[in-house]
Amino acid sequence: MSQNVTELSPIVPEFETLSLLLASDQLSIFFPILQKGVMVPATVGCTLKSLLCDQFAIPADYVSDRITTIFVDNCPVDDLDRTVIQDGSRVTLSAAMPGLVGATMRRGGYYAALRQGISHVLDSGKASNECGIVHLKLFNLLLTELGSLILARGLLLKSEELTALLKNLPELPISTHYGAGRTLLSVTFRE
Amino acid sequence: MDKIARIDMGAAGGPKVTVGDLGQYAGLGGRAMTSLMVAAEVHPLAHALGAENKLVISPGMLSGTTGSMTGRLSVGCKSPLTGTIKESNAGGQAAQVLARLGYAAVVLEGKPEGDDLYKIVINKDGIQVIADNSLKLMDNYPLVAKLRQEYGDKVAYMTIGSAGERKLLAASIACTDPELRPTRHCGRGGVGAVMGAKRVKAIIIDDAGMKMRPPKDPEKYRDANRKFVEGLRKHPVTGEGLPAYGTNVLTNVLNEAGGYPTNNFKSGQFAESASLSGETQAALEIQRGGSATHGCHRGCVIQCSGIYNDKDGNYVTKQPEYETVWSHGGHCGISNLDTVARLDYMDDNIGVDTIEMGVTIGVAMDAGLAEFGDDAAAIRLMEEVEKGTPLGRILGSGAAITGKVFGVERVPVVKDQALPAYDPRAIQGIGVTYATTTQGADHTAGYAIATNILKVGGDVDPLKTEGQIELSRNLQIATAAIDSTGMCLFIAFAIMDQPETFQALLDMLGSFNGITMTGDDVVALGKKVLSAERDFNTRAGFNKHHDRLPRFFYNEPIAPHNQTFMMKDEELDEVFNW
Ligand code: SF4
Repeated sequence: MSQNVTELSPIVPEFETLSLLLASDQLSIFFPILQKGVMVPATVGCTLKSLLCDQFAIPADYVSDRITTIFVDNCPVDDLDRTVIQDGSRVTLSAAMPGLVGATMRRGGYYAALRQGISHVLDSGKASNECGIVHLKLFNLLLTELGSLILARGLLLKSEELTALLKNLPELPISTHYGAGRTLLSVTFRE
Repeated sequence: MDKIARIDMGAAGGPKVTVGDLGQYAGLGGRAMTSLMVAAEVHPLAHALGAENKLVISPGMLSGTTGSMTGRLSVGCKSPLTGTIKESNAGGQAAQVLARLGYAAVVLEGKPEGDDLYKIVINKDGIQVIADNSLKLMDNYPLVAKLRQEYGDKVAYMTIGSAGERKLLAASIACTDPELRPTRHCGRGGVGAVMGAKRVKAIIIDDAGMKMRPPKDPEKYRDANRKFVEGLRKHPVTGEGLPAYGTNVLTNVLNEAGGYPTNNFKSGQFAESASLSGETQAALEIQRGGSATHGCHRGCVIQCSGIYNDKDGNYVTKQPEYETVWSHGGHCGISNLDTVARLDYMDDNIGVDTIEMGVTIGVAMDAGLAEFGDDAAAIRLMEEVEKGTPLGRILGSGAAITGKVFGVERVPVVKDQALPAYDPRAIQGIGVTYATTTQGADHTAGYAIATNILKVGGDVDPLKTEGQIELSRNLQIATAAIDSTGMCLFIAFAIMDQPETFQALLDMLGSFNGITMTGDDVVALGKKVLSAERDFNTRAGFNKHHDRLPRFFYNEPIAPHNQTFMMKDEELDEVFNW
């Protein structure tokens, strides 16, 4: 089993950091929390496009072609450049979905009118850049394709969440003294 | 497909088979055949369980060919659940086998005197109707197992379980899949009760000695099919998402959109939705040695289905679809996939529609018969249906009846058929289709999302408010047409996004029949079908006031968007103005 603890040290007063190096076949262990939603530190007050492309380093053509269904705070998004991410924003990313409702939820899709009333209202305010936290969910094909990228950047987990997660990594040779606050967990995977 | 078989179950001296030519129904298949025939031949005021009703079984226009995705079977009649015309379709092997035997339709007519139960054997030598009372009150899995001992494994079976025999209004007709499991159901509208009323328990379809239906232009057909398959394989929905996760991939997305009806439509989000998601389900299926990728009939290249095993690796049921996981899951506050799988098996075995049954159990929970989230109680209620107790007969007759019997106000039905898994307060455009479809609340009625390619009704600006009415109209027209081809509706994404894949579909239809087919021809077919269905419903006493959602959708806002259904009645009345 190839998993190592490479670091356990405080970086900011309230967060400890924990970095893991795991075999790539262990990525799926993280799918349940990624689909339920995880907290990721980010610079907020920016556009959704900037969050995805500049901060998460997702290639622009992947964002346009593959992440075809996006929600911010439960509202389907049509225009990434006119959606501003705030501290605490809930951002959900999905690939294209089947069926009429799948087509309806699609970003800028032909059937967007069918979801009138819940679509994300375009933000016109100016972007400001501040530190904050984004609540991020990944669904379906994006779990496999973006999971490792998001995990490498780091997630903020409450101690009970971290303990529950590490139970799924049984051979991890560490005790569970992560402190009572939140831990920044970053995971990289061997090729 | 050059003949129609009519079986008069009430003929003097016993059931009588007449095989004739196509007559006025030449060139039709699937929903076009069932709806045009029911509209022309069934008295609109007939009792749906009486001798005047007909059960029309028809393979799609391209079924029985080498074409991919062509295995949908349509069943049509006057619905005992809704009182409207009904077309209900399913996958499985039956359509392919029936089409290869040359039948464009098999029509069950009349009603026998007495209590005998029949099976119908269709093969290259003809059609036999045989009384077999040893099948009485058998449910689908044991029934098919018994029939296999006599008729073997190289045939397709269409059967009804105890629910159909009891003429419950949620009763379905099961079609066997390639492994001969009775898992593919013409579910909606109580078509199983109509088969039960005609005292037909099973139809055994054997195409031994028959060949694939030959196209008029074989080379062009082969080429078009190859391009069609390529298009399906390269699209992310039909080539990746559906094969990996099935339709249940929608759970997470609908919940995120706030359109996932929870606890009998009291909220648009379910806190435990991730436990029910397609992602979770697929991982569990693979981990338990089942499969997350499986075709409901041979020739399906999308393979949106799967095999759901228990924790010991034993088969429980086929992969429950999104609507089933929702109706038995979040709608009832249940978050355990094993419970949902057990209920899916019971639905298939007893022979009831999974949407109608799940919604009914949620309504029963609202009536106080059980607590939301009580898995064991949900199973107990299904056992009542299985046993045919008085309570079980009420539940098996659907959400509208159950709501009336127990005095529940929040009953999510249109024309007495239970709503599927999308809350129309969050997704208003879906509500337009639910309200106005000829079939009662039905998500697939407006499912063929390729209307932009079809240019049904000309170009629509989808970002305008009024676009919702036009979109719903166009969707319903396109769906009626695709339902007639025998194609699975899941092809819609690839033909919407890829014009060359849509062209390949037109070329398949055209080269099979030796004609050139255009989008306009498809639209004309869809309109013809819908017009016939609307006309039947009008003569059966339905009017614009039936094209409405239940009042609670207008009065009770739903979280998280706190919206009600806002479409005006006058707008709904415009849907069929073409
Ligand atoms: S995509 Fe699914 S429903 Fe359609 S034919 Fe294939 S398995 Fe059946």
